[in-house]
Amino acid sequence: MIIGEYKTDYAQDEGIWNTWAKKLGFLLALAVLLLIPFVANDYQLLMAGQIAIFVIAVVGLNVVVGYTGLMSLGHGAFFAIGAYTAVAIHQFFPHIFPLITLVISMVVAGFFGFLFGLPSLRVKGLYLAVATLSANFIVLFFIRQDWLEHFTGGRGGTETPNAYLFGTELVTNQQKYFLIVPITIVLFLFAQNLFRSRFGRALIAIRDNDHSAEILGISLFNYKLKSFVISAAYCGAAGTLWAYFFPAILPEDFGLNMSITLLICLVAGGMGRSLGPIFGTILILMVPEILKMVAFYFSEGNASAQIYFSPIRDIVFGLMIIGFLIFEPMGLVSIWDRFWRFISRWPFAK
Amino acid sequence: MGQFSQYVMNGIMNGSVYALIALGIVSIFKSTKVVNFAQGHVIMFGAYFYFTFAVMLPEATFMPDWVLKWEPEWLAGYKEGALMFSQKAAIAGWVNNVPRIILGLVGAVICNGLLGLLIERVFMRPLLGQSSFAMILCTIGLIWVLEGSASLIWTADVDQVPPLGPNFPIRFSLFGEQVFFFSASVVNFVLALLLFGSLMLVLRFTRSGVAIRATAEDQSTAYAMGINVPAVFSSAWVIASTTGAFAGAILASRNGLSPTLGLFGLSVLAIVLMGGLDSFLGVLIAAMMVGIFESLAQWQWGGEIAEIVPYVLVLIVILWRPNGLLGQAEIERI
Repeated sequence: MIIGEYKTDYAQDEGIWNTWAKKLGFLLALAVLLLIPFVANDYQLLMAGQIAIFVIAVVGLNVVVGYTGLMSLGHGAFFAIGAYTAVAIHQFFPHIFPLITLVISMVVAGFFGFLFGLPSLRVKGLYLAVATLSANFIVLFFIRQDWLEHFTGGRGGTETPNAYLFGTELVTNQQKYFLIVPITIVLFLFAQNLFRSRFGRALIAIRDNDHSAEILGISLFNYKLKSFVISAAYCGAAGTLWAYFFPAILPEDFGLNMSITLLICLVAGGMGRSLGPIFGTILILMVPEILKMVAFYFSEGNASAQIYFSPIRDIVFGLMIIGFLIFEPMGLVSIWDRFWRFISRWPFAK
Repeated sequence: MGQFSQYVMNGIMNGSVYALIALGIVSIFKSTKVVNFAQGHVIMFGAYFYFTFAVMLPEATFMPDWVLKWEPEWLAGYKEGALMFSQKAAIAGWVNNVPRIILGLVGAVICNGLLGLLIERVFMRPLLGQSSFAMILCTIGLIWVLEGSASLIWTADVDQVPPLGPNFPIRFSLFGEQVFFFSASVVNFVLALLLFGSLMLVLRFTRSGVAIRATAEDQSTAYAMGINVPAVFSSAWVIASTTGAFAGAILASRNGLSPTLGLFGLSVLAIVLMGGLDSFLGVLIAAMMVGIFESLAQWQWGGEIAEIVPYVLVLIVILWRPNGLLGQAEIERI
């Protein structure tokens, strides 16, 4: 948050880019994102695409967990539904325009979000977390079933199609990058915009105290369900892009591990803040890569030391999550805030 | 009908192990309001400690021989003429193992108790006063830490440990059909129920039990009444990790020892929420229900459906009673 910014009317205050720093930062980020595919190698593009896909899902999770205050451990299921819907659509229409698939997947995932959201009207807190977790297990159970094998490939997973954009097949990571990143930006801005509206403020009111919100005339039924639907649609979009991005998917990819990873990305970045998902996702997905490089540096390619790598990575990862919760409970965004506060007040105070 | 009762009884025996695992989660929740997602992994550590003290340590060269295989003089007389796989041979084999089983259990309980203290002191205490969401995520982070350290200390191979009781089949007929169990699972069942029952009695009748219940009721009032609340928190973690050591020993002797043991904790979490987070009795009922339905589902539809039985049941129960079967509704004030 930047202080000391002088505004003369409400329109300036309400804008998405209500300060010069945000506007400049956004343009800078756009320029960097445009530059990445031309300088990065294939592996770096793989990471970039993965991060962009996860950002969509985490932004979606932020709607339910960060803004509405409902705890969900079931968002991996929406991811799965998005991915498998894309696979199923491509069986009937192999050359369909990817944005149409995206919209259909979002609608289907949104419908499942509606179903998952129904318990949230009766159940709160941890009980809701476990209800969504159960729903996640049940969805994956159906995906693994033999009678759906024709669409889902059963427990052995399935190969996923490539997207066709105006007759060309998107094969390389560079081509896929240009499909994924614009969608990420659009969805991110949409979510950002949502929380300037009555709708977003209603969700925040529900998070702060749902009984008070209901007394103020906010229909819990309506808003909680809508929040779940929007969030699920985001994860569905992420799932569709995931199916386009990777050559094959397995039901296990979308289990509890995925749900928890999404949640951890959100917490590390900062819940209920629009930049939180971006910071958190970059950090959480990059840490294993950085650890891999560090381990390689110390072991110097020594194979016998490599077997210790995966347990140590797990330990460092877990300690990092706990460290965040203990030392920086508001996430990376709060470091960002402090930095900008320092800049804008300099040289007067910290 | 005979077969039906066979599966119901199998289910009850599995349910008792679930109840033993759930006990740890409930006792931590009742005093600290933290739901421990890592309980399954604490149990996994218990299993590995049991393995260390019951298998690795006796095999070490500096240990006397009788620890690995105890052969008192009367045993030779008892064993004489026993057929292989007979009841007598099974009991004799168990007597051979008694010293190392006892060593294993004692070692596992002590080490796991220390582990519980360590977790509480290092990871959970700094989070006091934060939202329960943060605490839950902290236990999720613990999952990685525990899993990683377990495979660093012990290898990720699957190992066998000695069962806690003599293992021979018990056969009898019920409703005109043959029914049978393994005696080891009967021993596990009795042990689990004994632990569960004694912990409930401790909480009800001893001073420290009253302190735990008072802290559960209201932390600040408990502080004001002179109760050492941080000590209560530590004791809750110690209770959870020591009962977890027993659960780990039981699970390892039944399913074999491997790092995947930790995943068991998640289905037990579903059971705990089904019973109601703060009710021992509700959790016991839920554990038995899940055990029975799981084994019936296995009988009727095979193993794959049995996997999701706990989750389907918890969904149904939570929708019907949002605070679990016997859980207390939280009073909210605006």
